[in-house]
Amino acid sequence: MPNMSLTKNPMPSQAPDVRNKNFQEVALGYTEEIALDEAARCLNCKNSPCVSGCPVNVHIPDFIKKIVEKDYEGAYQVIAESSTLPAVCGRVCPQETQCESKCVRGIKGDPVGIGRLERFVADRHNELANAEVKIPASNGHRVAIVGSGPSGLTCAGDLARLGYKVTVFEALHTAGGVLVYGIPEFRLPKAIVAREVELLKKMGVDIETNIIIGKTLTIDELFEKGFEAVFIGSGAGLPNFMNIPGESLKGVYSANEYLTRSNLMKAFRDDPDTPIMKGGKVAVVGGGNVAMDAARTALRLGADKVYIVYRRSMEELPARKEEVEHAIEEGIDFQLLRNPVEILGYKNPDDPRDPKNGFVTGMRVQKMELGEPDAKGRRRPVPIEGSEYELEVDAVVMAIGTSPNPLIKNTTEGLEVNPRGGIIVNEDGLSSRENVYAGGDAVTGAATVISAMGAGKTAAAAIDKALKG
Amino acid sequence: MYEIINKQSLNPTVTLMEIMAPLVAAKAEPGQFIILRVDENGERIPLTIADYDREKGTITIIFQIVGATTEKLNHLEVGDHLQDFAGPLGKPTETEGLKKVAVVGGGVGCAIAYPVAKKLHELGCEVHSVVGFRNKDLVILEDEFKGVSDKLCMMTDDGSYGEKGLVTNALKSLIDAGNLYDEVIAIGPVIMMKFVCQLTKEYGIKTVVSMNPIMIDGTGMCGGCRLTVGGETKFACVDGPDFDGHLVDFDEAMSRGAMYRDFERHAYEETCNLFKKGE
Repeated sequence: MPNMSLTKNPMPSQAPDVRNKNFQEVALGYTEEIALDEAARCLNCKNSPCVSGCPVNVHIPDFIKKIVEKDYEGAYQVIAESSTLPAVCGRVCPQETQCESKCVRGIKGDPVGIGRLERFVADRHNELANAEVKIPASNGHRVAIVGSGPSGLTCAGDLARLGYKVTVFEALHTAGGVLVYGIPEFRLPKAIVAREVELLKKMGVDIETNIIIGKTLTIDELFEKGFEAVFIGSGAGLPNFMNIPGESLKGVYSANEYLTRSNLMKAFRDDPDTPIMKGGKVAVVGGGNVAMDAARTALRLGADKVYIVYRRSMEELPARKEEVEHAIEEGIDFQLLRNPVEILGYKNPDDPRDPKNGFVTGMRVQKMELGEPDAKGRRRPVPIEGSEYELEVDAVVMAIGTSPNPLIKNTTEGLEVNPRGGIIVNEDGLSSRENVYAGGDAVTGAATVISAMGAGKTAAAAIDKALKG
Repeated sequence: MYEIINKQSLNPTVTLMEIMAPLVAAKAEPGQFIILRVDENGERIPLTIADYDREKGTITIIFQIVGATTEKLNHLEVGDHLQDFAGPLGKPTETEGLKKVAVVGGGVGCAIAYPVAKKLHELGCEVHSVVGFRNKDLVILEDEFKGVSDKLCMMTDDGSYGEKGLVTNALKSLIDAGNLYDEVIAIGPVIMMKFVCQLTKEYGIKTVVSMNPIMIDGTGMCGGCRLTVGGETKFACVDGPDFDGHLVDFDEAMSRGAMYRDFERHAYEETCNLFKKGE
């Protein structure tokens, strides 16, 4: 008999006033007991609409059925057929707009907690599984992957399983891409990412860090070195700024810089080698997951007050629902329908050498109201004349999106990009260059981990087809 | 890991190291930089390439001991390895087509000015080098500059070596003596580059400067290295590090460079204390 409770089992979590002072993971994960109770809510629908909501089409009812049968390893194997990074996806996917949005149980009551169950299965596998990894027989073909983020790791994993000799090139010193530099420890522990990377290495994937494709080596040189196909998953690297006065003041960060300092460079530790501004009042501009990550990082770094400054209302916030809820619980102050027009800095008129000169002191903010819907159907924010006021802050983090990095485009002849700089690909992920595939944010601009993984998967299948021809 | 195959102290605060990094050496050009980490958990610092040997597969870096990371770096010896070494990053200095150039170097900036002067010399360009140091003890690369310069002006602040005065004094004299330069290339402390540019602007001589702001990734990702050039925001790592000096907002660059001064001073002292204890 299914469990007909209308509500999803809540996620056990660190208490808000405890977790906002530490960097440990917020959500603690379902226990076996809770997982069994939640799994029993799945009706195992014949047409399984949830699967169509998943960018990599995980066979959701099948894995949940395995949980009900207490065959947790079996459940893991079902997920692993479609997803390379279950422990990651169970944590960072926006399930409410994907699988769970299609769940029949969601019509009346909460949908099944698919993401939480996925995480339960993945964590259990990681705790219990022995380290034996099947090393696939080599098929003799070599493929290069550019970037070790979600799309690159997925593409590498799928190809390695098919027997390809895969080399992943990473520009930074640690593999994982945005999973390492962008998403904070409290949302995605780095040990989980490291484990996934180790798994790929055991399968025979080479990971070459400190190699910037487009600088150290070009795409053409990869072919000269004997790679038969290349997948570009270099992400959307370049941070956008607002182009308002004061953005060069000390204390203004891009979210990329702020999060990279804290996550990759470990500036959150007590005695770090890399500095970051800690404490004071911090304003984070933007409403996406990255903005939530930055705001909650600021709090954990010891800020007295953290604002989210977003130009639309709560309804339009693009961040994952759970992250917004967590942020509110932790005490982030949401300044909604607000848009910065200038960042203000200290200037001692009597002493140009005053060390305080040039540091952020505040932000001029304009109130907004929602007007007519734009092309995407989101209501456009319209400034309210004469509504400007000053917000006292010591640091500002701009989390208003990123653009694809031009390093590869500029050094690869014949690689076509769209006006926003995204690499143009067909439905297989194939670019305008023969045997050069691309996916993830390098194609779409800033998007989700799971959509990048979907693109890596599609490209892996296409590369396999092309090379085995 | 990247092996140190040569180490030389150029003066009490400036050290030269040759690092085994064949992929970087294969591509490196004057004006480009690398990012290194000394050890696990270490910070990433950018250093401009001082020389390269494609056959040996090595990159030469010359650094001044100014903080915790360069202090740690200086404690490594030949045979030790750096944790990370990535590059070459940034755009190379444009040297094509130049017939007569004044290369101005200040302090440890001479380490970056030298490969530019060398490249220009190899391309058949007439090179006038103006190098400045605080005093005689801090002079570096004098013979190297002599070897690639048609004229070399050695300046020290206190007159303990060469001529007493600033690089701008020597540059002004050269220009006033009738030397017509296609371009001036100035590399050194931001304040020096600022004053060189003020001078050359008066004469209408195009001036290129090499900026070295705070950076993390060096690939355009963090935006920490942003500068205002001609009213526009530029990233030194991907748009530079060379820029038209007459358009750079040097005051802003100096201010941003001092953002973590307190942290850096504290870290430097702690590191020095650590090494003292170890001795």
